[in-house]
Amino acid sequence: MRNPWMQTGNYRTSYRQDTTIFATYSEQLSLIVLLLSLLFLPMFLSRPQMFVVDLILVYALAVVGLNITTGYAGLISIGHAAFVGVGAYTAALLAPALPFWLTVPLGGLAAAIAGGIVGIPSLRIKHLYLAIATLAFQLIFEWGVGHSTLLQQGGAIAMPRVVFAGYKVGYKNHYYFWYYVTLVVLIVLAFAFRNLLRTKYGRALVAVRDNDRAADAMGMHPGLTKIFAFALGAFYAGVAGGLYAYLSRAVVIEDYMLNVSIELLAMSIVGGLGSMVGSFLGPAFLVLLDLNMEDFANWLKALGMSLPGVDIASAMRPLTFGLVIVLFLVFEPRGLANWWRLVRNYFKNWPFKY
Amino acid sequence: MSYFVQLLVSGLVVGSIYALAALGFVLIYKASRVINFAQGEFIAVGAFVVYALSVYLGMNIWLALVISLLLTAVLGFFVERVFLRPLVGQPIISVIMVTIGLASLLEGAIHLTPFGGGNFSFPSFLPQKGIEFAGISVSYPQVLAVFFTLIFLAVFAWFFQRSTLGIAMRAVADDQMAAMSLGVSVEKVFALAWAAAGITAAAAGFIVGTVSGINLGGLVSIGLRVFPVVILGGLDSIPGAVIGGIAIGILENLATGYLDPLVPGGGTGGVFPFVVLLLVLWFKPYGLFGTEEIERV
Repeated sequence: MRNPWMQTGNYRTSYRQDTTIFATYSEQLSLIVLLLSLLFLPMFLSRPQMFVVDLILVYALAVVGLNITTGYAGLISIGHAAFVGVGAYTAALLAPALPFWLTVPLGGLAAAIAGGIVGIPSLRIKHLYLAIATLAFQLIFEWGVGHSTLLQQGGAIAMPRVVFAGYKVGYKNHYYFWYYVTLVVLIVLAFAFRNLLRTKYGRALVAVRDNDRAADAMGMHPGLTKIFAFALGAFYAGVAGGLYAYLSRAVVIEDYMLNVSIELLAMSIVGGLGSMVGSFLGPAFLVLLDLNMEDFANWLKALGMSLPGVDIASAMRPLTFGLVIVLFLVFEPRGLANWWRLVRNYFKNWPFKY
Repeated sequence: MSYFVQLLVSGLVVGSIYALAALGFVLIYKASRVINFAQGEFIAVGAFVVYALSVYLGMNIWLALVISLLLTAVLGFFVERVFLRPLVGQPIISVIMVTIGLASLLEGAIHLTPFGGGNFSFPSFLPQKGIEFAGISVSYPQVLAVFFTLIFLAVFAWFFQRSTLGIAMRAVADDQMAAMSLGVSVEKVFALAWAAAGITAAAAGFIVGTVSGINLGGLVSIGLRVFPVVILGGLDSIPGAVIGGIAIGILENLATGYLDPLVPGGGTGGVFPFVVLLLVLWFKPYGLFGTEEIERV
């Protein structure tokens, strides 16, 4: 292995090399190029486009969290939007008193505590039963918010505009400001998790997913690991919730309901469960698909292709959403991340076939 | 006292709807270990088909019901073939998600028909006046609901105890490998379970339609209420589905009757079953009649 830039395959010879985050220099370089281009991306986008990009980033953060719980630790969570909601509501309640760089992490912390509590049944039950327990948590959360006067019974709670380092974020630069904030948070948290995966705690997650009895016999603590997985995934979700609250400038229960939980699950599956790249590709794919479907439905309506009493737009969304999930599960269960892997390997091994 | 009995009666009616819906759910789980998140949409399809046939085409409501039962059976059969068959042996999360995707697809398809929004009610075919008994009033649709559930239970009980196919289904639920080696077609059993689930869903939808009006949101939410029912009764127990269904229906009505005045905003009936669900999961995860899973490394 003389020239690390020209590496065409996997030449790692020691365990230490195998646990590095980056396999090759070119991987490092391509990541730096990607981050730089993300830094300059806002220069080329208009305000509405910026909002879409922000949305994708926030969803990506939540999906990274879901991937920790469901993808890496194998605990199916149908209540992830509720964790996002816990973060958002915490941020909303604290926002009048504290600056955003405190409310957002505190939202994450509140969500982590909620996640730990929801994770307690996982000491005893697993798989399907656990999935149903998280579903129950989601519905109880919705009901709880809907009946609490403190939280406006699920109605809109306005979020204040923020002032950062003496600089007031107004209408014009709102989406740009939150783009950079979300980007930084996402990069930091994604790296943190990537690093965690190399430690014994991270590997314990995967071991418990693959076989918790065997992990127990090897000296890991499956119960604590599961609760840790729930709390960590919920922390990411809570931070995403806080950011989403500031971004959309209001907290409404509709953004944290069961259908959002399902959407997050769909994003992680379309992206590829248990893969970091997938956590970014999935949200991007589904958010863009959703927007295009709205346009498509409006276009169909303009063509006069609608029956009386039928709302094409409300039919199109669940139809395409369901179709995407089903098609991915049947034809590409490993998700978009697998396509990414194939493309990358092609270039990595070029000019050889494999 | 009569208030309490009145709540019990309406709970029993709601409970029999849940019991029917849960029956289909349990049949699928028992045969193929698949959790069906699309049960609510199946119920909606069944109810709307009856409505469309009886109102738009002016059919006799009983004929419409029979056609609806057949159609949902075919739908269940088709769903198993197209969506579930390719996923045999995939992780649980994939199987759960495919039924969620299916639910979304069916909902979208219903939105393409005029049934996407608004309330609909069946043409009334039963006497308007109910039965009065010691201060408790019971309407004919309510009687019909309970009666209908009993018929279905009897049919299913006969089917599982006596018919060859039913015994084959029990064999597959018991041990797939052994059943296969004895010549039972496991694929046929899976398809049959889905078809049977479609039938029970349509029956549940029909009862909802006779007892109250139907709308998409309400019918779909029954699909969610099935979860407390099956967890309480045990995921793989048919008597559990029935007893759990009736228990949850009664609990829900009692909660609405006695807790709602205490809680600002009310709506405790909707959330109470899920609190029960969590409690059951904590203290008796496999429910009243479910088989405990024993795992080996």
